[in-house]
Amino acid sequence: MKLDPRIKLLLIAMLTSLAVFAKDIVYLGAVALTALLLDIMLRANILDALKRIRHFLSLIVFIAVVQSLTVKSGKSIVSIGNFTFISSAGLLNGAEFALRMGIIILASIIATTEKGRGMTDALIKLKLPYEIAFMVSVTIRFIPMFREEFASRLTALKLRGINIKKLNICKKVKVYTYLLSPTVAGSIIKSRELANAMEARAFRAYPQRTMLRDLRLKFIDYAVIISVIAYVALFAAVSIKIGGII
Amino acid sequence: MHKNDYAYGDKRMIIQIVDLCFSYNKSKKILENVTYIFESGKAYILSGANGSGKTTLTRLIMGLLKPNMGSVSIDNEPLINPSKLRLADKIGYLFQNTDMQLFANTVYEELAFPYQITGAYNNDIENKIDITLKEFGLDGLYDRFPLLLSGGEKQRLALATIFIRDVQFLILDEPSSSIDQEGKIFLAELINRFVEQGGGVIVISHDEELKDMINNPVHISLNEGRL
Repeated sequence: MKLDPRIKLLLIAMLTSLAVFAKDIVYLGAVALTALLLDIMLRANILDALKRIRHFLSLIVFIAVVQSLTVKSGKSIVSIGNFTFISSAGLLNGAEFALRMGIIILASIIATTEKGRGMTDALIKLKLPYEIAFMVSVTIRFIPMFREEFASRLTALKLRGINIKKLNICKKVKVYTYLLSPTVAGSIIKSRELANAMEARAFRAYPQRTMLRDLRLKFIDYAVIISVIAYVALFAAVSIKIGGII
Repeated sequence: MHKNDYAYGDKRMIIQIVDLCFSYNKSKKILENVTYIFESGKAYILSGANGSGKTTLTRLIMGLLKPNMGSVSIDNEPLINPSKLRLADKIGYLFQNTDMQLFANTVYEELAFPYQITGAYNNDIENKIDITLKEFGLDGLYDRFPLLLSGGEKQRLALATIFIRDVQFLILDEPSSSIDQEGKIFLAELINRFVEQGGGVIVISHDEELKDMINNPVHISLNEGRL
């Protein structure tokens, strides 16, 4: 399914909003399933995207487990004497957090299906100033580059005989701080070079920009807009009728 | 710049690659049944067109990539799941983009950091760092931020981080890409001296001038994935 980038932004906005507002685990599950189906329909490379953020995923799991262990209300599931280790409310809290984050991740994967200037064009069409839209797209483009740079420096560190796994936590933090500082400094240097290159190519020399590819909504885009409205309306209706969902 | 003041240890080493095959994706093979033996005491100049697999070959030797087929062995010991740490003691690798190799806040720390973090920093190391920085013409730049050095200075610093570890073999990926004439002479002298002392060097380069400055090099060329 090929959609206009503006519709993809709409889908991302809808899914992330519902992830924040939905209060019930069943409905969070439904939203997560919707996000997953949309990723599949838009032919997003979900596994590749998840692989890239695997460290972040383990952090989410860790926070979810901590939440499960710290919330003690509800029915006791695992306990020793009077002390409750895991309660029903704790488990529910952890699962809800994991689902919420999952929805946000699956929604953001939709953005990866748009190549080139698609997102910039979409933001311009949504009346965002060109300079801001361009900055947003440059930021997105720089993220994989920073990740690659960080990985390269990590390799360089290993090639100098430092075994990070064997270091204690304080030294590990120090090493990662060391690796972050050149990446941040490098990004400042790169942004300065990019600014010079843009100036050299007469960026903003003409106030009125023309577009090589003008975005136009097609039938499928309108169909998705109607579906989004219906989906959100259904959520709102169920919430009003049953209560406590949104 | 100064001449090397300290002698290197025993550098005898053989890198053997047998039937090495590699591809980043199924559609294009980068290396196809590459077999070769790199011996210490020699300088190898690896050339080939852009995208011919030169950097890939060296990254396979360093264990930074895993071959689809074939093997790499060092001193007849096959590198199965090669440990980067073990290789780091033996082989020094200069990245094509030296920026990726520098991560400390000052030039001095760039050399001292691995020793400080592993608790091996002492007076001997301090002296060794001073000697190395002088040797590579970096004295006076101790407190400078490495990423803000000139291209040539960055490259000399990256080389210094390798030479301070007394490695037996060097792999230099496009080492003359950002250096001037004086830098090239320094680099060629460094390579020649390293080989004279028994070390082995693989230089990936398109720079004819640098190639001419290296003594008795062995020329090898990669063409469509084959040596």
